[in-house]
Amino acid sequence: MLEELLKAPFWIDIENWPLSWEIGGTSWFPFLESIHVIAAALLVGAIATIDLRLLGVGAVRYPLSTLGREILPWVWGAFMVATITGLGMFITRAASHVVNPAFQWKIFLLALAGINMLHLHRSLSTLLQADDTRSKPHLRLRLAGLASLLLWCGVMLAGRWVGHIV
Amino acid sequence: MDAVFLTLAEAIDGGALQAGALWALRSIPGFPPIIQTVHILGIAAIMGSVVMINLRMLGLALPSQQLFEMNTRLMPWLWWALLANAVSGGFFLFARPFRYLDNPVFLWKLAFLLPAIALSFLVYRISLRSEDIWSRTAARRITSKLAALLSLGLWIMTAMAGRWIAYAEYLYYPA
Repeated sequence: MLEELLKAPFWIDIENWPLSWEIGGTSWFPFLESIHVIAAALLVGAIATIDLRLLGVGAVRYPLSTLGREILPWVWGAFMVATITGLGMFITRAASHVVNPAFQWKIFLLALAGINMLHLHRSLSTLLQADDTRSKPHLRLRLAGLASLLLWCGVMLAGRWVGHIV
Repeated sequence: MDAVFLTLAEAIDGGALQAGALWALRSIPGFPPIIQTVHILGIAAIMGSVVMINLRMLGLALPSQQLFEMNTRLMPWLWWALLANAVSGGFFLFARPFRYLDNPVFLWKLAFLLPAIALSFLVYRISLRSEDIWSRTAARRITSKLAALLSLGLWIMTAMAGRWIAYAEYLYYPA
């Protein structure tokens, strides 16, 4: 089922969109790629600050809520830019990307990072409020921070590996 | 100037450093993407430290944080990131010296990187003089914003130029 979906002609059709050709055959590709790297680095640099705060390693003088309020907009902004530039690159080689193990890992790890974030803000929200100013937050919060840090490093590694397989 | 870099490339070419770098890149499974990821994580640390400080100076980010405190807490991350990126980048440069030292885009990268480091160090030293060093007069407030904008631009362009090293022909031999 998944196998069929990944090998559907649909992905080739995407590669043949005029936009895909325009990006793939011009300086648009390296331009989008460099913006993608800058946005991804900003995303990880910003979210790592929150993760290290959750771990009780850095920025412990600031309440979690303050850091979240002031840093998360940058994380989301960077995520949007990385997604748009990433899609721009994806459509130029959609059919090979969807069957590329590194790309599949990247999407999988991105999904896990998203689930971890949902878990932190939904299931752990009471804990998050209770430990807002605690320099060493509850173990479950620290674990969520560690998971986020590792998952985003994994997304970067898998993302960088995509180019070594195609 | 180009001759200096070419001489350097020739000195590296065929030497022990090149042999070591090539061995690591070719023999250790997954080494090239792993070391490139270290390099990008270094860039992430630069974004999380000096770039965030620049955004704070511009009044765009982290309003509840004080510049003096940010500088003491975050700038060590920049120095370690620069070291990590010199080492991770060094593997590629020593393995293929001509690809970098005989490439105008790499020289552009250096032309952004070296002033970025110098300016960041200068702004850092000034920021540590006192808590209100950048806000005492209107002239200082303007200076701090201009310095932050320039620093931000230099760091972004360093990362940008770095990614374009592999695409030098797009710039110098357009279709």
